[in-house]
Amino acid sequence: MVAAKKTKKTHESINNRLALVMKSGKYTLGYKTVLKSLRNSKGKLIIIANNCPPLRKSEIEYYAMLAKVGVHHYNGNNVDLGTACGKYYRVCCLSISDPGDSDIIKSIPGEQ
Amino acid sequence: MGPSPSGLRPTESPSPYQLRYKFWSSPSRNPSSSSSSSHPCTERRPRERARQEDRAKMVKFLKPNKAVIVLQGRYAGRKAVIVRSFDDGTRDRAYGHCLVAGIKKYPSKVIRKDSAKKTAKKSRVKCFVKLVNYRHLMPTRYTLDVDLKDIVTADCLQSKDKRVTASKETKKRFEERFKTGKNRWFFTKLRF
Repeated sequence: MVAAKKTKKTHESINNRLALVMKSGKYTLGYKTVLKSLRNSKGKLIIIANNCPPLRKSEIEYYAMLAKVGVHHYNGNNVDLGTACGKYYRVCCLSISDPGDSDIIKSIPGEQ
Repeated sequence: MGPSPSGLRPTESPSPYQLRYKFWSSPSRNPSSSSSSSHPCTERRPRERARQEDRAKMVKFLKPNKAVIVLQGRYAGRKAVIVRSFDDGTRDRAYGHCLVAGIKKYPSKVIRKDSAKKTAKKSRVKCFVKLVNYRHLMPTRYTLDVDLKDIVTADCLQSKDKRVTASKETKKRFEERFKTGKNRWFFTKLRF
């Protein structure tokens, strides 16, 4: 199978990288700002939770296809993604505009 | 949890807000300013190279000649083409918006056994020109290469007769394009 089973190790590494981006980089959380960042080409990586509604998910993917920006489907729902970002609310999609010290942009789309 | 703030005078007792603010405004949060102060010859170049790579990846797609679908308003569901985009807005409209020329009434389906008169009648296109917020548009992967820059300008929306002449000109150009049979997607009605 190609990418079906995400091992625990890669999942933890994504969380670590996200934590580093939260601390040192620039990001926006939420659907409206994700689309905004895609429109003005500030977003570099988009992360979507797995329980994102399918219409919204395909819309974000279409925008990202037009902007040639990578999309990562996070292995967890919006509650988990919010926790991974260190927030106490749910995050369905987020956009990273400046990764700071993290190498999330180079490593994550390559893994997929 | 409280990190010790660096430049705080010993006489002040920092409030929790100040502590939190100091932490988040510490140099590690803004990597560009910190790296420029130390080792300017070595640390700046890799970051610049990284930034150039990143700049090459990002593509701006709300550009002139892009086919879009209007999502809100009277023309919701209609296809349009971006003529001019104002990414940072103007003084009147402080948001990203663009000037679009779209189809108000799509041409009907023309079949082979139609007479010339009927074909001409069925190929008519009714157009509109509008300033639309980016939020109310759905971009598509299609483009429409029709030269509307000289007809549809920002000031053609100011008075009714200017708007009518602009619409009439775009109608002419759209009809020509429809008759050649290209960009067929643009001239078919979006079913929803």
